[in-house]
Amino acid sequence: MFAPLQAEPTLLPETIGRFLFGSEMAIWQEMIAAFLAAFVVANVMLAQAGVAGPWAKRKITAAFTDRIAVNRHGPAGLLIIPAAAVQLMAKELIIPDGVDRPAYDLAPILLAFSALIGFAVIPMGSIFGINLQIADPESGVAYVFAAASIATLALTMAGYASNNKYSLMGGLRAIAQNIAYEIPLIVTGASVIIFTGTLQTSEIVAQQAEPLVTIAGVSIPSWFAFVNPFAFVLFMVANLAEVGRNPFDIPEAPTEIVAGYMTEYSSIYFVLFYMGEFIHIFLGGAIVTTLFLGGPSGPVLPGFVWFVIKIWAIFLFTQWARSAVPRVRIDQLIEIGWKGMLVLSFANLILTAVIVGVML
Amino acid sequence: MSLQERQPVGVTEDGLDYDALADLLGDRVIGREHHLNAEGFVVRPTDVEETLELLRDEAGFDHLSCLTAQEYEDRYESIYHLTKYDDRTQELSVVVPADPEDPVSESAAGVYETANWHEREAYDLVGVDYDDHPDLRRILLPETWQGHPLANDYHQDRPQLVPFQEHKNPLEDDHHDAESDTMFLNIGPHHPATHGVLHLKTTLDGEQVADVDPDIGYLHRCEEQMAQQGTYRHQIMPYPDRWDYASAGLLNEWAYARVAEDLNDIEVPEYAQVIRTMGAELCRIAAHMLAVGTFALDIYGDFTAIFMYAMRDREKVQNILEDLTGQRMMFNYFRLGGVVWDLPEPREEFFEQTRDFLDDLPETLEEYHDLITNNEIFQKRVIDTGVLDPEDAKSYGCTGPVARASGIDYDLRRDDPYGYYDELDWDVITENGGDNYSRFLVRMQEVEQSARIIEQCVDLLEDWPEDERTIQSNVPRTLKPEPDTETYRAVEGAKGELGIYVRSDGTDKPGRFKIRSPCFSNLSALESMSEGEYVPDLVATLGSLDVILGEVDR
Repeated sequence: MFAPLQAEPTLLPETIGRFLFGSEMAIWQEMIAAFLAAFVVANVMLAQAGVAGPWAKRKITAAFTDRIAVNRHGPAGLLIIPAAAVQLMAKELIIPDGVDRPAYDLAPILLAFSALIGFAVIPMGSIFGINLQIADPESGVAYVFAAASIATLALTMAGYASNNKYSLMGGLRAIAQNIAYEIPLIVTGASVIIFTGTLQTSEIVAQQAEPLVTIAGVSIPSWFAFVNPFAFVLFMVANLAEVGRNPFDIPEAPTEIVAGYMTEYSSIYFVLFYMGEFIHIFLGGAIVTTLFLGGPSGPVLPGFVWFVIKIWAIFLFTQWARSAVPRVRIDQLIEIGWKGMLVLSFANLILTAVIVGVML
Repeated sequence: MSLQERQPVGVTEDGLDYDALADLLGDRVIGREHHLNAEGFVVRPTDVEETLELLRDEAGFDHLSCLTAQEYEDRYESIYHLTKYDDRTQELSVVVPADPEDPVSESAAGVYETANWHEREAYDLVGVDYDDHPDLRRILLPETWQGHPLANDYHQDRPQLVPFQEHKNPLEDDHHDAESDTMFLNIGPHHPATHGVLHLKTTLDGEQVADVDPDIGYLHRCEEQMAQQGTYRHQIMPYPDRWDYASAGLLNEWAYARVAEDLNDIEVPEYAQVIRTMGAELCRIAAHMLAVGTFALDIYGDFTAIFMYAMRDREKVQNILEDLTGQRMMFNYFRLGGVVWDLPEPREEFFEQTRDFLDDLPETLEEYHDLITNNEIFQKRVIDTGVLDPEDAKSYGCTGPVARASGIDYDLRRDDPYGYYDELDWDVITENGGDNYSRFLVRMQEVEQSARIIEQCVDLLEDWPEDERTIQSNVPRTLKPEPDTETYRAVEGAKGELGIYVRSDGTDKPGRFKIRSPCFSNLSALESMSEGEYVPDLVATLGSLDVILGEVDR
């Protein structure tokens, strides 16, 4: 359909492999290269989540609420990051009586890792000539949605295994919410797939780099957020529910069920949950960026910088919603999900299919 | 039934005709007492329910404002302070003596719902045993407590030795029922939504509330007993600041000032009354700002923008109050017969600061309305949830913004005027929804009305002639009211009717000092408001009641 804009970019494992072992690689060498690539990407994302959690979130919320927030440790309070890390990890790990042991321990790990593995297929653009994408399978979008969905399992495990009624309620709410909102999320995502005709993420991104219209010499790229703004809005809303932020922070709902599935977690397990949630927000941001905001494309700056800017913009949006929008009630949430979002997303899908079928 | 017959018994053009009321009750009245605020009818402990029912249905006494219990040398006594939501000046006390050996008295819980909690408190602290009470448990003290602290034979120093067995989980037996498909859930005492240490024993059916039983008393500090050990003149005034401590200090102080001035015939100079009125309304704004902020916190679920805005604007009021009283929370600014000192010098600066705040207020409130009142999600959450019918509100003795949001036009500042309120131009706000939204709206509008009052006070104070600025009247160093003088007086606190009953015993300390807390009565209505609702609505309803546990538990 569309010709790729540039020659097939080299994926990160291959770059690393060539650097270490030359162009001819044995299987084990490829594996080492792939592992190193995953290590690099995971650390890039963890670094962002680590900044976002203790520092950026507080700074952003403070800005929304007329406060100053962390400013005592280092420039702009940045040293709060190591301080928070030490503080959280130095806390006692309390395992309550009667928890369901393997599940209780696995849940936080699963949450953090399920969000991380989603980044394997995200085209993050290149910096210093190195393309940061790990893999580019033909089923890329299907894979990333599948990876993001595993989080629900983690929340359910945590809620059930904690032997706490608040946790249980949080776990149940998480299931109800994720089922209700993941369908619209994926169906809306599918409307993009109808446009592109491929699930391959690099291809989706490449197609969005085409200019849509040119106004006064400024060409507007055909990002799907511009091509189909309706789908974009739907996707953003469903994404808020998917990552559990206001108005859809039902599974945690501090004033109602204390901390939901997290109630009984402390110390490093809590850190994993906390971090997992932030990585999950960034993964949500990465999916939105890939499907609707043209991935890493953008003028002047390197692609990777654009990618980071875009996912942080989405992070900012979730924090904005958190600071300004009330939480809906659980029954209202389900109602909005099944009666509103689902219908709209299918309408969008069918409409897109008709338009694509007739016009293209 | 003709209109003529519906006219409540005992109401005449110039007040209440106690003889007609006594005729209505017939030989149930075995004696008459005179209290400063109202006539007291003495009835037998077996006639309580009938008497109160007659008074409620025939004479229109629909508000059991307070219940005081006390022990004399020769008897126990319960006093039901009755009044009317339509006319607060019509008051009547029903005095029920009980046998000193076996203090049994009939319960009034069948007539007024609010008697339920009040009688539990009387049982808990004084030891009167209310017959036919639906649920006569201790309410403020732990269930294992031995003795009744306000009874005469109570030993303060006796240690509370309770066998370990008594402390075993009290929930164990009744709540782990394998057959039942409901879930028992403890909300609190440590929970983000309980605004202090409140424990809600909740039974859930799925996410819906099947039953909720507030368990209070975690913040009980023996305020009544402490007041009974202080002298009228100076030692009691600091305590009221600690009841509703969410900036409503001056309103509470006024409750004590009013009752003590009434008891000792103390006149308050007009200038001091204006300062009091201004200070009290500043406190009301601060208290309502906090209520609005924390209510939003319950709905939004985080320390979000609106909470911080409310705190920011409350801070401005706090600064004004700090300049006026020298304190930010525990003001201790009122004195019997006036206030402790005049406005801070330079006065112009103080007036300017207050005016600045008042000038900014409309814009601020507009911001609040944009951010929350008009927010669709917010409306979806709070409209038609936590509904309190006017009838229920009256039966539970709800007052203040909670009652006014249910359409009950009842405000002591207007209905039983004190201070300078009847000279000023302001309105009583009512809403008819009875839901969480109405309670929120009432508070928002009351802030505007308070601002109106403050503005008029500032104008008055600014033009007050310099040689007439008397801040205190001449009050004797020691106050010893006549023995056995009794009175019950209330003011409009931030949360509603804050009343105090005092009986003097001829010394310079009160013989009995009973506090009627508005939050206590308002909180008791929670059960009827939240049954069948979702947990989030229970939390929202609790937030909209705006309880301060320091005042509930005293």
